[in-house]
Amino acid sequence: MYRSTDSDRRFLRQRAAQFRDQLERHLRGELPDELFRPLRLQNGWYVQRHAPMLRVAVPYGELSARQLRQLSRIAREFDLPAAPHLNLGLPPGGYGHFTTRQNLQFNGIPLARAADVMDLLAEVGLHGIQTSGNCIRNTTSDALAGIAPDEAVDPRPYCELLRQWSTLHPEFAFLPRKFKIAVHGAAEDRVAGDWHDIALVLRRNELGEIGFRVKAGGGMGRTPLLARTMSDFVPWSQVLVFIEAIVRVYNLAGRRDNAYKARLKILVKAEGQSFVEAVQREYEALLADPLTQAIPQSEFDRVAAGFADDPIAGPLPEPDLAGWPSSSAFTRWLDRNVHPHRVAGHRAVTLSLKRAGFAPGDATADQMDAAAALAERFSSGELRVTHEQNLLLPWVPARELPALWHAARDAGFARPTVGLLGDMIACPGGDLCALANARTTPLAGQILERFADLDEQHDIGDLALHVSGCINSCGHHHSGHVGVLGVDKDGTEWYQLSIGGSDGSARGAVPGQASPGRILGPAFAADEIVDAISALVALYLRERQPGERFAQTAARLPLADWRAATDAVRTGTARHDSAPAHEAVAPA
Amino acid sequence: MRITTDDSHLPAGAVTLANAEQLRDLRPEVQAAIADGRPLVLEFPKWTDGRAYSQAVLLRNRWHHRGEIVAHGDVVADMAPLLRRCGFSAMQMRAGQDRHVAERALGWFDHHHQRDPVVATGFGAEVLS
Repeated sequence: MYRSTDSDRRFLRQRAAQFRDQLERHLRGELPDELFRPLRLQNGWYVQRHAPMLRVAVPYGELSARQLRQLSRIAREFDLPAAPHLNLGLPPGGYGHFTTRQNLQFNGIPLARAADVMDLLAEVGLHGIQTSGNCIRNTTSDALAGIAPDEAVDPRPYCELLRQWSTLHPEFAFLPRKFKIAVHGAAEDRVAGDWHDIALVLRRNELGEIGFRVKAGGGMGRTPLLARTMSDFVPWSQVLVFIEAIVRVYNLAGRRDNAYKARLKILVKAEGQSFVEAVQREYEALLADPLTQAIPQSEFDRVAAGFADDPIAGPLPEPDLAGWPSSSAFTRWLDRNVHPHRVAGHRAVTLSLKRAGFAPGDATADQMDAAAALAERFSSGELRVTHEQNLLLPWVPARELPALWHAARDAGFARPTVGLLGDMIACPGGDLCALANARTTPLAGQILERFADLDEQHDIGDLALHVSGCINSCGHHHSGHVGVLGVDKDGTEWYQLSIGGSDGSARGAVPGQASPGRILGPAFAADEIVDAISALVALYLRERQPGERFAQTAARLPLADWRAATDAVRTGTARHDSAPAHEAVAPA
Repeated sequence: MRITTDDSHLPAGAVTLANAEQLRDLRPEVQAAIADGRPLVLEFPKWTDGRAYSQAVLLRNRWHHRGEIVAHGDVVADMAPLLRRCGFSAMQMRAGQDRHVAERALGWFDHHHQRDPVVATGFGAEVLS
């Protein structure tokens, strides 16, 4: 992990002090909400349905056990235990929710205590800087960064350089809208890059030099769009200059008149090649200016030093399997939750946060402590937050797998469903979020219950179910093989169903090809949606060809077939006359 | 950076740029002001409209403006550090803003992760005399 310096730590303390001052001025009535709101957003504080929400940045998903224990402490001491969604018979003590952008959200901390929380975060090098607001957000990366066998270049040092460059950059604090960057360096895109404002893909050119393919203009929401290539190769030391060019052009030219049309993707779609040219002109002007700085090798080396040495002894022999558990539970866990590793004799292991009785991605204070203990015992004290809202242990010696499995099971983290239907992504939804049109947590619970049989889930195989409570798409419904979007009709909860989305990973119908899902007719009522999802699964099981994954069948069969299957389970929303079915309005 | 309240006057001979100007080319009026070292005024129609920060950076770095750059319009105290680091030499705040709050806002950080976008041109962190 990055080794923070004294000045890094001092910076966080100063930021926490600045926020404390702003909060106190606000609470005294000297800073009205109109002026305080953007400032608190840029420290991660939303005002939400029941209580403020804090989004803590987890830089490119890397977390230490020490940091996770502090997050647990914050959950335990500050998170209100009476949040409504806790009607699940669970002990008090607060929760965190791990998000699709590798961050952590608390949903119950009173605003009056916010400054104390920022101080505690700063103690361990954490913060909420720019996790909200119209600014450059947390840079995300591959949970397997630095350890994936298919990785050409470790993206983490570049992520850290990008994080530092973008943190409190004074020119870009008030962009037209939020700005999200994802970075990876592997053959497979596991970061949903094409769905981001900027995707940086590390690669080597014909001369073996390291650089980036840069794509821009992707995004979800009302107008799902995929990023397009801006440059096939930007030398690594120039990448911040190139990003500066993109963000400056966006800052000056992005729409300011309509918040729903203000993302970079709208500008890229409207301007097309002339946007690409505008960026190229700005980039060249910056390069031509003798005062423009590339990233110095010395600065790269300083940052990279923290990532350079693996925190393990070195390669190990593969373990002798004699004496390993023979149960199908263990075998399935090995199959789904344990992943290959760059270093011989090691594995990466997912700690699943998807289980009955909990919202997907949630962890109680006790569970956070348990995960921290597993990291300390099995993973050199390090964890990752995954894009799928799980935790991952990146440095596990393979010979420790049986012991880890037992310990993970005891902690409730070993459900062998990674990549299966039970591994669904869901945003916190209407139980907690004032923006949501519908609740997602009860839906997730019903799905887990309907598909509780692990034999059935394994038979279905790889299936990415993504659930968003509203069009802000925090649940990434557009990129789900099956996507569910909460919509508000007549003040009640409805669910729009889509099929055939992809995040651009190898799990999609065509590896490497991101795509937005296609909507399956009018929204479903709350008492129909689980049946509709079951109907999609049933059609897949009936029609799949040998070895064909759900995503592939979804691409092969015509939309009308999927539509017919889901229409057949409609009750309240069934059409009884002969008029053409009303098509749900697709995103413009 | 000079901090003024809304009842003060803009500097003599100042030229005001529109918030939407992208400064790829400069109007003759603006070019003349830069050549003379006269003040330029950049508008904030809303304090959360951040276009003028990029305008200021370009005026300093690309167009080599050495004279004053004044922030005008919906300008509030907490903008002070951003304005200074982007090369503004003055901020004229909207009604009801306290200049002492703005001065305090300048002092929270002794360093940043990135250099000021305009520091190399002699503005930004090195405050104009």
